[in-house]
Amino acid sequence: MQTEADYYALFEAYQRGELAAGARASLEARLGAEQRLGQLYAEYLDLTGTLTAYGERRRTRQTISGLHEAMLAAEATPAFEEKESGGLAYAVNPRLSLSRTEQKLREFWSGHRATVGVAASVAVLAVFSTLTGLSLWHSYNTPAASGVRELRREVAQIVRSQKALIRKVDNQRGDAPTPPVRDNKFSGTSFALTADGYLVTSAHVIKGADSLLVEGRDHQRYHAETVYTDGKHDLAILRIKDRDFKTFGRLPYTFKAGQADLGERVYTLGYPREDVVYGEGALSARTGYDGDTAFYQVSIPLNPGNSGGPLLDGQGNLIGVVSSRQDDVLGAAFATKSSYLVRLVDSLKNHQPAAAYRLPHANQLAGAARAQQVKRLQDFVFVVKVYE
Amino acid sequence: MNMDSTTALAADAQLIKAIEGGDERALSQLYRLHWPMVSHFVLQNSGTEDDARDVYQEGVMVFYEKVREGSLELSCQIKTYLYAVCRRLWLKRLTSKSRLHGVRLLDEEEYGPYLNTGAEDDVQEAEERDRRFATMSEALTHLGEPYRSLLEGFYLLDKSMLDLTAEHGYTNADTAKTQKYKCLTRLKKLFFASYKEA
Repeated sequence: MQTEADYYALFEAYQRGELAAGARASLEARLGAEQRLGQLYAEYLDLTGTLTAYGERRRTRQTISGLHEAMLAAEATPAFEEKESGGLAYAVNPRLSLSRTEQKLREFWSGHRATVGVAASVAVLAVFSTLTGLSLWHSYNTPAASGVRELRREVAQIVRSQKALIRKVDNQRGDAPTPPVRDNKFSGTSFALTADGYLVTSAHVIKGADSLLVEGRDHQRYHAETVYTDGKHDLAILRIKDRDFKTFGRLPYTFKAGQADLGERVYTLGYPREDVVYGEGALSARTGYDGDTAFYQVSIPLNPGNSGGPLLDGQGNLIGVVSSRQDDVLGAAFATKSSYLVRLVDSLKNHQPAAAYRLPHANQLAGAARAQQVKRLQDFVFVVKVYE
Repeated sequence: MNMDSTTALAADAQLIKAIEGGDERALSQLYRLHWPMVSHFVLQNSGTEDDARDVYQEGVMVFYEKVREGSLELSCQIKTYLYAVCRRLWLKRLTSKSRLHGVRLLDEEEYGPYLNTGAEDDVQEAEERDRRFATMSEALTHLGEPYRSLLEGFYLLDKSMLDLTAEHGYTNADTAKTQKYKCLTRLKKLFFASYKEA
């Protein structure tokens, strides 16, 4: 007769006791006899039973949830009522009244203990690695090869009394208005290569220069230009470009083409400060930093500003050009060998036969006492001021 | 907490009887009584206030449903039983959400007296019941409207057929009833299918 739905109607009526006695008896008989019907009935019960229970569950959940709210609300008033109703006399654990903020903090802390621990260690690690990284980076950023310091002097913005003198001298010379005296960025030393205006200095001194100024002991100032740079051997050749420059006068020293000896007493003049400075030592080694055969090692105490200065031996021979010093080793400074300078000049002569490089050929310093040598030499040693 | 345990047990029995009878005030009393203990336990074991509330309510639910069913077999005090149930529930939650292996609760040493409360079994039972209800809920959702709200109205919300007839716009109560039975058959298919899968 019936679809499943129809049977459900029957089952429901049966359950509710709405069936007439006859119908009820017949159903019960069928349930006992027909297996399929019995199963259908069981499933019906299961289904509707679960539905009903589910409804109850939902209601209970709401009730219990409501209890919680009520409890929190009632906490404002002390729970004396417990003693009265049902005679219960439980001593309840004292409830700490934490402020809302404190509760939140406690929850947060207990929930995030592990995370905070990890975050803290990461933070510490980051700080230390950054500090290490910075110090490493810093040490790598020092100029030249690690451990070797080039001796170009970086000039601070200090007022120099020479400025006034220079202006006075220029005005007396009747020059065209000189450019306003601006502070140069770097300075070094240079010395005369030839009498007619060629100079030698270190290549790194003039690096990045827009203009150069060469200044002598008597505050004579000349504008110079770069003629040639030999970065590998840290040499540079300059030339005075002022049209009214005539001559340096006869150079008293000569350039040694060969090697100097170990133990040779050597000296230099330079401008690690505004005034010329004399320094002396010995030839310590026939090679420079890292065994570079283009350089000597000398034991003269040198400072930034000495770069490009002349290195002479006891007989007044020009044997080298001051270049750098070693930072982590005491008393080690380096100078380019004069042989390389001579070779450089020779090759320039060959490439530009028109330009005349008349190197000095008569040494006038040999035999003179050191102080006398220096007196003669200092007229040919200049400050090089680099402007960018 | 030093008191005569017989007195305590007697008080407990009284409370249970009241709850069984549907006395909501008794339930409320019980609820407030044991909350501090459970709350303290959960908070001590890396739980939040919300966790404590959820666990406690679930625990009280287990207790309550057993009591209403008449199937609660208590061999100890209510507080011991509740503690055991909530402890079990909290442990389950911790292991499921813990990134670390092996959760250790702070009361491992003192737990001895809780071992024979029957809490384990009851929690298990409650869990199965939960699964059933979840399946039912899902099946109802899959039924779609308007069938779902018809069944929900009748079975879950205890509405009368007359009310439902009006709500759903059926011609009369009989039409509504027929519709209800049809919905039931469909629900049955859905429910048994997913229950078997689970």
